[in-house]
Amino acid sequence: MKIESTFKIKKGLAEMLKGGVIMDVVNAEQAVIAEKSGAVAVMALERIPADIRAEGGVARMSSVETIQEVIDSVTIPVMAKARIGHFVEAQMLESLGIDFIDESEVLTPADDKNHIYKHDIKTPFVNGATDIGEACRRIGEGAAMIRTKGEAGTGNVIEAVRHMRSMTDGINKIITADVNSLMSIAKEIRAPFEVVKDIHESKKLPVVNFAAGGIATPADAALMMQLGCDGVFVGSGIFKSGDPKERAEAIVIATTNFDNPEKLVEVSKELGEPMVGLNIDDLDETEKLAKRGW
Amino acid sequence: MKTGVLALQGSFFDHVKSLELINKEYQLIKSVSDLENIDSLILPGGESTTMMKIQKSDDLFATIKIKINEGMPTLGTCAGLILLASDVIDGQSSISCLNTVVERNAYGRQNESFEGLVDFNGNKEMYCFIRAPKIISYGNTVTPIAFIDEEVVGIHENNIVGLSFHPELSNDIIYLEWLKNFLKDGLNVRSL
Repeated sequence: MKIESTFKIKKGLAEMLKGGVIMDVVNAEQAVIAEKSGAVAVMALERIPADIRAEGGVARMSSVETIQEVIDSVTIPVMAKARIGHFVEAQMLESLGIDFIDESEVLTPADDKNHIYKHDIKTPFVNGATDIGEACRRIGEGAAMIRTKGEAGTGNVIEAVRHMRSMTDGINKIITADVNSLMSIAKEIRAPFEVVKDIHESKKLPVVNFAAGGIATPADAALMMQLGCDGVFVGSGIFKSGDPKERAEAIVIATTNFDNPEKLVEVSKELGEPMVGLNIDDLDETEKLAKRGW
Repeated sequence: MKTGVLALQGSFFDHVKSLELINKEYQLIKSVSDLENIDSLILPGGESTTMMKIQKSDDLFATIKIKINEGMPTLGTCAGLILLASDVIDGQSSISCLNTVVERNAYGRQNESFEGLVDFNGNKEMYCFIRAPKIISYGNTVTPIAFIDEEVVGIHENNIVGLSFHPELSNDIIYLEWLKNFLKDGLNVRSL
């Protein structure tokens, strides 16, 4: 007897990615570099966040050809981004055989109120969140993995740190709460009661939680791991840097050895130029991608 | 003595949870120096290509191989099975001490991943197969120990057990009992 695509199976793939680095790639060539550098999965997208930010326009799901090319070029799991609420892009990614769908605020949202109902799609979903309430809402819709939103394409880790700290505080509040106040907490953070109850009982988020958005150096990756993330996504940080392969390898080693400063020093030597960063305070409120999603 | 759990990447904390449930102390293994005080070893699921890349800096797998060849009870699940296999289709062998040919992702991509009813240890239980490797063939010193219908999904050779699936995501009592005995004395598991 075999049953496909249960929630346990969806969540299970995320469990297998723990301690790993998921890298943004825009073509097969970058995907191969990522795999050779030790990426645990690749994320196929049309343009990397730093370019989306610079060029503007509507950012959509990658072309079918690009996704197919990336799938054919590597043996590690392939993820791809769909627009928030764009369930048809998600259905297409499912049909293409993608291993994980990122319903991502980095792309231009397709729905200003609703996210995708993810239980109906065989492929597991990862969603961004800025706090525990948002994480719970996404899990309620069927997300099998959560990541911090951070502020993608900036090379600035401050927002990812903010989101992770806020998530941890939120989880701790639920765990230590009196059972009688769980409903009131659920109301306050606008979260499904069942998910809040699950966190209270299991004393942890029910799905894996990665860091994303602004991670550019091995030290950034290690910082997010020390803050309690299960792994990291690196977008613009790799292919916008001086030596993508070296940097990718260094971030992979740093993610495993996040609590070993000697090792972090060793891998951070001779890395070439990091991506040029953006100061979050210089961004107009409307330019902040983390504001997308509801 | 502790059980070492390879902790380069993957679901190693789920194995740690199993060990906590059977009151066995553990040591996370990230480098050669972590191997000193262990009497048994678990290689978890995850991405085998990633683990191979990370271990290179201090040639961790070479030392692990020596320990396994000396008779240390060793369990590999999913990617752990790939690391143990002597031959890997669509991939490269690494620790290479279990006489078997496995094929990576041979059950399909994530959409084909499944929970399957596995006959393991005289017990039937639903276990997760996640982009799982398939056991294509094995040498005559190897005993099949886990099955879905007629298909072999787990094997045993001397002190080594390799499973395509993830018992650590279920932690049923019969698995935990088996694990406890296996880690104590892998060699006696021959009589299974």
